[in-house]
Amino acid sequence: MIDLDGVGVDFEGVRALEGIDLRIEDDEFVTVVGPSGCGKTTLLRAIGGLQAPTAGAVRIDGDSPAVAQAGARLGFVFQNHTLLPWKSATENVTFLREMAGEEPRREEAQDLLASVGLEGFEDAKPRELSGGMNQRVAIARAIHLGADVLLMDEPFGELDEITRDELGVEVRDIWRRERKTVVFVTHSVPEAVFLADRCVVMGATGRIERVFEIDLPTSRDEDVFGSRAFQEQVAAVRRTLHESYA
Amino acid sequence: MPEATRFTRHGRGWIERASYPVGALALAVGVWWGLTLAFEIPPFLLPPPEAVAARLLNDPALYARNALFTLEKVVYGGSVGIVVGFALALGVAYLPWFRRAIYPYLVTARVLPKVAIAPVLLIYLGTGLITAVVFVALIAFFPVVLSTAAGLSNAPAEHHDLLESVDAGWIRRVVYVDLPYALPDAFAGLKQAVTLSVVGAVIAEWIAADNGLGFVILIASENVRADVMLAALAVLVVEGLALYGAVTLAQRAAGRWSALE
Repeated sequence: MIDLDGVGVDFEGVRALEGIDLRIEDDEFVTVVGPSGCGKTTLLRAIGGLQAPTAGAVRIDGDSPAVAQAGARLGFVFQNHTLLPWKSATENVTFLREMAGEEPRREEAQDLLASVGLEGFEDAKPRELSGGMNQRVAIARAIHLGADVLLMDEPFGELDEITRDELGVEVRDIWRRERKTVVFVTHSVPEAVFLADRCVVMGATGRIERVFEIDLPTSRDEDVFGSRAFQEQVAAVRRTLHESYA
Repeated sequence: MPEATRFTRHGRGWIERASYPVGALALAVGVWWGLTLAFEIPPFLLPPPEAVAARLLNDPALYARNALFTLEKVVYGGSVGIVVGFALALGVAYLPWFRRAIYPYLVTARVLPKVAIAPVLLIYLGTGLITAVVFVALIAFFPVVLSTAAGLSNAPAEHHDLLESVDAGWIRRVVYVDLPYALPDAFAGLKQAVTLSVVGAVIAEWIAADNGLGFVILIASENVRADVMLAALAVLVVEGLALYGAVTLAQRAAGRWSALE
């Protein structure tokens, strides 16, 4: 369980986050949506211990983020895939585990690559793979770490829309298969609605504007994009965003 | 890399690429030979190529021995310079107080003509190997510091976030991320350092030594022996190229686990 209690972040007098109260349950998929500069990435970094809050506290299963980091309990996926260019896909998947001081498991890493559709690319270097494929490697790396919490910072931000949709479906599948707690930051409203159990809408002043319970089937594929329920909820989130920034 | 490309690079293509510089060299030697013949230049001013070759073949031990003396200065001095330069680069890259304290003096060291230091060293260290080693090290360390320190900031910030997110620690970050990302720049500095080391060794041999190719050139100059000078110079060029080639080979080997490719 992730618990944010009155979290605020100031950057040299500029308020990036203010009064964030949020509780994320185990195995929950939460998306955070808002325009650039709304503080959503800062929120994710505060949860992951990469940004110290100037007010309030973050707890991960009762511990500080620093303790969770040391226990390899936080798996980050960034907008940039952050794969090491001189390592193969398999080596990149095991790399983070090694950096956490844990034993890498090569075969498990290769199984993971296969499970994200990269069978046959185990020895490929990042420059030999497309942007979407590299991001799949980065996701496999976060899962291989064995963390219970996945923190994803606009991981599909640099991909084309078709690849985004495909990867969205896959991330939902991975989440159902692996039983992880996911916090997923995005500026795409459809993506935020499609992926989420709950969707947190960030307002203009670094505050949470509203939290939507997303009412869609647990198992989701591309057909969801065309469904009426999906489109209505996308419209509702959009409306909230536009009112907040009007 | 596909097999076909590999074949071209190391097979026929290699010969083709080498043919241009080899051709240019042959042309230059031809012009040299033609000039000495056409203008009847006296051999003590500009000996013909065959006279220089004869000089080399007449006493190969002399040139080999002195080439080794020069190599000794380059290797010892260059190694000291590279190790010290690398250590300073780590300090500059990771210790802000150290960077602020030392950077103005690094810039000063760059402006200072190193040749001017050699006579000073002579007073304190005498004419032995140690003077040459210190002088070569002084000349060689500088490009290593600047290039390596710059290279150590090559790794994207998100890579540091990634390692911090698992509390990997400073040492792992430096060894597994920063250093591999720094290698292309570090090798650029290393190549400069090796080239400058040869320059430094020759200067040291002019000022404070009684052996080495630089010393041979100096003595030959005093005795107006152009053939000996040119022979020593030719050996020096080969030696410099060999050292440069060694660094290039090391760079290629390091490319397997770094950002060099």
